[in-house]
Amino acid sequence: MAGATLGRRPLTLMEALRQTRAEAATYRGIWSWVATVDHKRIGVMYGITAFIFFLAGGIEALVIRLQLATPNGAVVDPDQYNRIFTMHGTTMVFLVVMPLSAAFFNLLIPLMIGARDVAFPRLNAFSYWVFLAGGLFMNISFFTGGNIFQGELGAPDAGWFGYAPLTLNEFSPGNGINYWAFGLQILGVASMASGFNFIVTILNMRAPGMTLFRMPLFVWMTLVTSFLIVFAMPVIAIALFQLLFDRLFGGNFFNAEAGGTPLLWQHMFWLFGHPEVYILILPAMGIVSEVLPTFSRKPLFGYPFVVFSGVAIGFMSWGVWAHHMYTTGLGSVANAAFGVSTILIAVPTGVKIFNWLGTMWGGSIRLNTPMLFAVGFIAMFTIGGLTGVTHSAVPSDYQQQDTYYVVAHFHQVLVGGAIFGLFAGAYYWFPKFTGKLLKEGWGQLHFWLMFIGFNVTFQPMMILGLMGMPRRVSSYPDGYGFGLWNMMATVGAFMIAASILVFIYNVIVSLRSKEQAGADPWDGRTLEWSIPSPPPAYNFAEIPTVHALDDFWHQKYVEDAAERPVPVVAGGAHEAEAAEHEAGDHGSIHMPSPSYWPLIAALGFPLIAFGFIYDYALIAVGAAFLLVGLYGWALEPATE
Amino acid sequence: MLVKLVTSRLRATRPRRLAWLALAASLGLLAGGCESFDSPQNTFSTSGDVAEDQRYLFFFVMWPALVVMVLVGAAMLYILFRFRRRSEQEPAPKQVHGNTKLELAWTIAPAFLLIAIAVPTLDGIIDLGRAPHDDALRVNVIGQQWLWSFEYPELVDASGQPLRIDGRPGETTELHIPIDREIGVTMESNDVIHSFWVPKLAGKEDVVPGHINEMWFNATEPGTFAGQCVEFCGLDHAIMTLRVVAETPEEFDAWVDEQLAAAAAEAPVTGTR
Repeated sequence: MAGATLGRRPLTLMEALRQTRAEAATYRGIWSWVATVDHKRIGVMYGITAFIFFLAGGIEALVIRLQLATPNGAVVDPDQYNRIFTMHGTTMVFLVVMPLSAAFFNLLIPLMIGARDVAFPRLNAFSYWVFLAGGLFMNISFFTGGNIFQGELGAPDAGWFGYAPLTLNEFSPGNGINYWAFGLQILGVASMASGFNFIVTILNMRAPGMTLFRMPLFVWMTLVTSFLIVFAMPVIAIALFQLLFDRLFGGNFFNAEAGGTPLLWQHMFWLFGHPEVYILILPAMGIVSEVLPTFSRKPLFGYPFVVFSGVAIGFMSWGVWAHHMYTTGLGSVANAAFGVSTILIAVPTGVKIFNWLGTMWGGSIRLNTPMLFAVGFIAMFTIGGLTGVTHSAVPSDYQQQDTYYVVAHFHQVLVGGAIFGLFAGAYYWFPKFTGKLLKEGWGQLHFWLMFIGFNVTFQPMMILGLMGMPRRVSSYPDGYGFGLWNMMATVGAFMIAASILVFIYNVIVSLRSKEQAGADPWDGRTLEWSIPSPPPAYNFAEIPTVHALDDFWHQKYVEDAAERPVPVVAGGAHEAEAAEHEAGDHGSIHMPSPSYWPLIAALGFPLIAFGFIYDYALIAVGAAFLLVGLYGWALEPATE
Repeated sequence: MLVKLVTSRLRATRPRRLAWLALAASLGLLAGGCESFDSPQNTFSTSGDVAEDQRYLFFFVMWPALVVMVLVGAAMLYILFRFRRRSEQEPAPKQVHGNTKLELAWTIAPAFLLIAIAVPTLDGIIDLGRAPHDDALRVNVIGQQWLWSFEYPELVDASGQPLRIDGRPGETTELHIPIDREIGVTMESNDVIHSFWVPKLAGKEDVVPGHINEMWFNATEPGTFAGQCVEFCGLDHAIMTLRVVAETPEEFDAWVDEQLAAAAAEAPVTGTR
């Protein structure tokens, strides 16, 4: 009778929350996603969200390419162009490549180290929600500039690098830059939280026997990336606070007229910005280092060299920031020092490329889609790295700085490198998390369209830069010889766009397919392939004990006298263990309870930011969300 | 059976051939494209000593880089072909875990190659970083949103006013210089950061508010050379253009006299107002 009464009257807030939490624990329904703390689900949400932002950033890129396809382009006006290229850069760096890497960290790290979840599951959910809040906040700026249907955009317009004093109120009135600065601050919170989370997870949650030098290379690169995030994000956070003081409270950090120093911004931004470049590329290098051995059926060549070169890159990335500033007048000695450090960072990068080739050498190579993308990565990243070396020749860089040559260079690294690597990972691990393989035929089409499109887009940009076309121009006149190459680049960009459509189609068809991939479709080497696809909530029925690098491979194969792997006979250790995984009910495994508090806390950040922009009263509302969220989080019972 | 074998072979080689084509195409574009186009801002068709040195240094780095790229690409294609899996029944290959000597070699060898790049680089940095010579023609370059102005502090009229060419919005300001004489440039900004760049004569230098930068360059032949702002500076960054008119010393002197006379003719009018 009491139950019926409860059913009729509206639920109190606490009852509703408790009910959603109960629903969340069942692993079904929308609430189970909203309140999830499962690293695999958070990884999926990261991936899908970042992919949607990838489409947005891609559409912005297509607008840029349409505008520049012909001389005197008039698709958008200079104001719109500046806002769109700013959002393209900001989106691709902070809302696409970083969170896509975070998606892979989330999906894979616990599985690869033999853990049931990350160290701080609710902090992990918090990272995701703050990232989503920051991404939406940043993009809402498009609608704040007036009537968007008349082409009045409100997005930031000073470039993703936001050089002061252009970003100060005097030169950038309106709220675009405020959205940009607050948006990056919010995203920084998300990155920091996830950086700490993965450092602690990797250092503390490894299965017994998994020493640091038995960790898969992707785990190593995640560790290095997480340390870079934790050290680099505070630098830009401080720079952004300085900028916000200047903009909101009449501070004088960057205002030259009042004794401020515009170049301070550049030092701060690039001190963050260059480690950031490696934050973007190291995860992709980790992915490639997993894919190559599997599809060559050989272990990674020179594992310690690859690990240490990754660590070396992480350290050296802090010593090259001023190579973004050769032309700002730092003086000969500084330019010489940073020129040499830029030359030196090519050494560990080269080591990785040679070791990858060494991995494939003597292997039994199968060119499935993940491998195609990994090989494409090596080819394109080599060009990106070598064009990077040309930047270390400082006097010659006085010519190439701020031209399309630089645009070509970093797209080689970030698209031909990072994005190719991430697609390699997507094709490789898709079956692990969905139970379905992506279709090979569509995958091949995707790769070749994208590979050719990529080269048609970005190689002409090198020529454009050497022919003297500056970056960030909303148009260029006739008679400079830029037209042909720009047209090529535009055609290539649409080929890339088509390839992305092929990918989306592939995902849909593959998910609908009835063919099951099985636990280990690629004959994998690392622990994630030892559990079912998709993995159960608890990942490992029994926490594995690790005996070697590439432990799962060694469960399946033993090496004979000639160092050739021989499959372990039926009924061997591997199958016995697999049988053990199948058997029994694992409902009693303790898993972290779902929680909605991270989401509530995350909502506080955009509200506080809106408060600074529009009405200080909103700051109080945002702070209340944050505090209530954090208190609820702290006081929440561990299990319910 | 044979047909099947041939088609499977063809299918196997097609991606590689495409990759070759793509590689060859990008190589051809890079090597052929730049030199053959004599466009107004081409960094490869130089008319000044600074730009010429920079072009030389670029090639000094680019050619070895291209060789490395071709070698890595060729090695990769060779590996992909030679070690391709011929059948799924193929036994797994020998498990090689590494080779310390080889890896040390390919760590150290590139370092030597890179040191070779460092030598002309450092030489160039010091040469370009020096202060302009005493006998250089001094020019002040003033950048502001979105125009350039030029001032010749040593070329003064009867009243002591330096010759100044003021830019006008939407127009391309001309900087006249004599050929074969060093030009010592001092840069100042009235608002945000700009960057002064005339690709055929010299690489760029930023124009930073509150921070005086200097550079030097020259023109070795007469002509008109296009340039523009290359640091993003807001709305009309794309049309913040300039032109350098390099002429013989006689022509330049005649131009200076003409400008000073014109300024003198204008000066009283503005002075009495």
